Amino acid sequence: MKDEAAQVEPTFSWRVGVDSGGTFTDVCLFDASSGDISVWKVASTPDDPSRGIAVGVDEALETHGVAARDRSAAVAYLGHGTTVATNALITGAGARVGLITTAGFRDLLEIGRQKRPDLYDLSLAKPKTLVPRELRFEVSERLLHTGDVAIALDEDAVRTAARQMRDEGVAAVAICFLYAFLNPDHERIAKRIVAEEMPDAFLCASHDIAPEFREFERLSTVTVNAYLGPIMHRYISRLSPRFTDMGVLVPPHLTQSNGGVVRFEAAAQTPVRAVLSGPSTGVVAARAIGTRAGVEDIITFDMGGTSSDVALMAGGDVTQTNESTVHGYPIKAPMLDIHTVGAGGGSIASIDSGGLLKVGPESAGADPGPVCYGLGANQPTVTDANIVLQILNPSHLLDGRMKVRRDLAVDAIAKIAAKLGLGVEETAQGILSVVTANMAKAIRVISVQRGHDPRGYALMAFGGAGPLHAVRLAQELGMERVIVPRNPGILCAMGLLLTDLRADFSSTFLVSLEAGSLSQISTTMSEVEIQAEAWFEEEAIPAEHRRTARRIDMRYEGQNHELPIPVPDGCLDAAMLEGLKEAFAEAHTRMYGFAVEGERINCVTFRVEATGVVQKADLSEAELGPEDAAIAKTGTRDVWYPETGTFTQTELYARDKLRPGMVFNGPAIVEQMDTTTLIPPKVTVRIDRLDNLILELAS
Amino acid sequence: MSADLDPITVEVIGAALSSIVEETGEALVRASYSTNIKERRDCSTALFDREGRTLCQAEHIPIHLGSFLDFIPMILDVHDPANMRPGDVFIGNDAYRGGGTHLPDIVLAEPIFIDGALVAWTVNLAHHSDFVDRAHAHIYQEGMRIPPIRLYRAGALQTDVQELILLNCQVPRERLSDLRAQMAANRVGVQRFTDLCERYGVDTVLASGEALLDYAERKMRAGLEALPDGRWRFEDVFDSLDFDEALPIAVEITIAGSDIRLDFEAPPQVRSGINMTRTALLATVYYIVKSVVDPTVLPNAGLARPITVLAPDGSILNCAHPAAVNGRVQTCQRVADLILGALAQAAPERVSACTNSSCTVAVFSGTRQTGPDVGTYWVYLETIGGGGGARAEADGLDGIHVHVTNTSNLPIEALELEYPLILERYELIDGSGGAGMHRGGMGLRRVYRATEDCMVSVDISRNLSRSWGLEGGGSGGHGGFTVSPDTDAFVRGKGTLRAGEWLEVITPGGGGYGRAIGSRADLAAQ
Repeated sequence: MKDEAAQVEPTFSWRVGVDSGGTFTDVCLFDASSGDISVWKVASTPDDPSRGIAVGVDEALETHGVAARDRSAAVAYLGHGTTVATNALITGAGARVGLITTAGFRDLLEIGRQKRPDLYDLSLAKPKTLVPRELRFEVSERLLHTGDVAIALDEDAVRTAARQMRDEGVAAVAICFLYAFLNPDHERIAKRIVAEEMPDAFLCASHDIAPEFREFERLSTVTVNAYLGPIMHRYISRLSPRFTDMGVLVPPHLTQSNGGVVRFEAAAQTPVRAVLSGPSTGVVAARAIGTRAGVEDIITFDMGGTSSDVALMAGGDVTQTNESTVHGYPIKAPMLDIHTVGAGGGSIASIDSGGLLKVGPESAGADPGPVCYGLGANQPTVTDANIVLQILNPSHLLDGRMKVRRDLAVDAIAKIAAKLGLGVEETAQGILSVVTANMAKAIRVISVQRGHDPRGYALMAFGGAGPLHAVRLAQELGMERVIVPRNPGILCAMGLLLTDLRADFSSTFLVSLEAGSLSQISTTMSEVEIQAEAWFEEEAIPAEHRRTARRIDMRYEGQNHELPIPVPDGCLDAAMLEGLKEAFAEAHTRMYGFAVEGERINCVTFRVEATGVVQKADLSEAELGPEDAAIAKTGTRDVWYPETGTFTQTELYARDKLRPGMVFNGPAIVEQMDTTTLIPPKVTVRIDRLDNLILELAS
Repeated sequence: MSADLDPITVEVIGAALSSIVEETGEALVRASYSTNIKERRDCSTALFDREGRTLCQAEHIPIHLGSFLDFIPMILDVHDPANMRPGDVFIGNDAYRGGGTHLPDIVLAEPIFIDGALVAWTVNLAHHSDFVDRAHAHIYQEGMRIPPIRLYRAGALQTDVQELILLNCQVPRERLSDLRAQMAANRVGVQRFTDLCERYGVDTVLASGEALLDYAERKMRAGLEALPDGRWRFEDVFDSLDFDEALPIAVEITIAGSDIRLDFEAPPQVRSGINMTRTALLATVYYIVKSVVDPTVLPNAGLARPITVLAPDGSILNCAHPAAVNGRVQTCQRVADLILGALAQAAPERVSACTNSSCTVAVFSGTRQTGPDVGTYWVYLETIGGGGGARAEADGLDGIHVHVTNTSNLPIEALELEYPLILERYELIDGSGGAGMHRGGMGLRRVYRATEDCMVSVDISRNLSRSWGLEGGGSGGHGGFTVSPDTDAFVRGKGTLRAGEWLEVITPGGGGYGRAIGSRADLAAQ
């Protein structure tokens, strides 16, 4: 702890990121005056997460000598990531929601796309419908596909419904009418009437939340938003005063699924945009680290105890998606295209009735955890396989803080090995190969299925188990380079210091991409740009920090799935139109292998991505030192590799003794508190200027 | 399993094969033009080995497996593999000569060559919404019959073949675009399979494919072993608007050890589109046996090995040329439930009560009377879900597609944009699910109003009979339809809607499970 005299001058030099997870709350501090990044970990307080967050931020600042009285001036930025919205959706702990919709369609929420949850399994259930049938109110009104009114809104019916909902104790109301994305008038009137009758309820309408075509997905989105609205409101209203109380007065920001942050007030209105915010900041950090390291084509690989998240970044841009199904609920919201697979360190290995080895998606969790923890589990996990092969330290984990029992892991895997007719080590390696195949499948979804060849990408591994499995995964996919950042375990908290303010705006308007429609195209685009401008004003983002990227989702007339085509800056004129046609043909060819000369192209959704550039933690670069890594060696361990088919003596390196410039070859293991990196034979490692491990695989 | 092939390699390659078929399926949907494929996803993709055995099928539509079963053998029957070249693409749809189960399902198959040798096939099927507004006395009335012929020869489009096909289609622009999407999907399949062989070696991949068939067989046998041995019989009827009286059908199922045998009884084939080809029957049996025995068995040809299927030749369940087959999916649904009824006696906890047991279809067509495409022919086909059967532990699912079909609905905001129709209601039908300790799933109601004159054909079932409950559960509601009072009466589900007139279709509910205890207030809905 620093003494009084050494206390920092109040110079707005501190930036704080706080990531609140189920077990730990990570606080990441960046000192702009020195360029240092430091991390503070406290236990989460699931009954009221704001308490743990407050304790963590307070302690972290205190430790660095930022006293309460100085914080209003010293803390320049506070970014926060939370899983409160996601958890409420998973556990069904959202609000009591009422729905007002077009007459004839109150069951649409339940019918969905009319598909069953599984093709073959007769016993599965659909996800719970978030609004019970008696709280779904139909009102007379109808628009046509042109946006024209066929039946005027029955305002009395709206009022009656609102009163009934109020009497039923409804806390949140969703309003969704057919074609509201073309003409929001009816939704606006309904919203006003409901607000009059239910001034305390959380209210949202589909044209506000997801003004896009396809009624069920729009309805699902606005309903999820209402379901989460009161939860998010309560959360923020508890958390905000805690920050003020500890002297942090800067407006706090919350992460969104698109990897950006928005102010708390905005976040409270659109909680549906935060349901995938958890893994998004890790991806943002990976992008920042990759960009700084000069690597712009990256697949991120975040492997934890129960699942792995993967995402793709091409040319420095993380692929985004505007629709995804989250825990069974379709959601139209801008999100980083992150794909999750049930494969983690705790994934359980077993032999199925056909005699093949299966790994996951069942997980041993933290308790009883893997067999080697000695807490009574008897089904071997991925972690047990790593212990048996001695890739992980066979006696202790977490810098020696946790004892493990390799003998128990060996016994458990021996039982499976006997059934397979393989040796114990071969079987342990088999468990790793199968889990690798499962993860490779997830990466194929975000790469090859989207027209990207993973062989041209580097794999950035983080999360507790990512660096352990990264090389094997890269080999399976034919990738040649793996990057392991300095602190793979806290990348999400770090990402909070590296993200910008972000908001996405869109408007659906079907129009042909041709000279005759130029004025309609440019008018629609500028309408969306005006919304973005308004947001910049609201967020008080100075002009020099404003960035916008324009995109139009297009398809051949007759198709229903669009491809996003970037629209360059400047005036939307005839020449730019021709450029867009070419860009579409190229994108279509990349995706499907063909383009159709002369076919009419439709513009469908106009999008503007607005960014308020935030001064970010600047990752410092070090000078490259000598190549010799001998001083980082801590000993050797015999590790089993399929390449050698036997236990092979392997050098161990301590991560905190590795310095930029050092180079060494596999087989090697790099150990640190929060992860272990496996470097199999024929792989070369160097430490770059940013203190990343760069692993080069022989092709 | 060969010496150098361990169970782990097999599992790893199995994961890669399923990636490939999913990816080809995604390419097909996204590049397509017709609402039936781009939104309703009425299509399937698969990989086959050299001999035409399924290596892996994407989880799309089980009935499509029926078309896949015979297509490659039929190609090989007519064409000498020695004359095949990379870039050859075979097209076919015929129910008797082209591997199809009905004519709108057009299959495209492309051989995959590694080092000059034909090693596998990538195949996909798309249900083209075409060949509508027809009679179904025999297959010659149902559309164009295409035997397995080359649409592409060494990468070159055979324009004369394509022109002939397109001239016989009602909406040629859509057909052409959907065929392109099918080509795109196969291109992906060839590329990915070739990559996989480069990575693991073609011999390992093929041997793994072989091992995966054995694996599926072992899992299926293990599941059958877990069921009691015995013989169970179940009877039901098949009804539709084509018949004044329901047709009786029955099955006797014998499980002995790890083998299962299904003996069907059915009346002779009829002059109606409800007849099933043998491949349609096999696809239905494989689907439902897998669902009951072990839903996780890989969908490949190995799962069929323990299964014996017998049905009288020339019957509605195993028809012969020239029987019409366009509406065979209705019959398939009934057969799937028939099998559930028999297996319920062996393992009541594993099955559901009878589903709505139908695939309700509404087809609209006409000539555009306004707009930029005035004068062109339009066709809109949709299938409507119904109730699922109640389960031992839960109510039946409401308003879903069951058994051999699994297509999405078309968003209303797409339907009304594309066709001169307005959808006025789309809802669950109160009381349509069979009563019981667990309620049967509810059927659906859809009300359409025409904004231009059009021809309409409605195909419904359970109009005379009702879906049965299990263990004392009640029956589901009927399927049916109504038209606006001024509309000329429909004949056997066919008629004309003039602009402004409406049609209401209701689909059947599923059967209940267990005797109802007291009165269930939620029978209506939840």
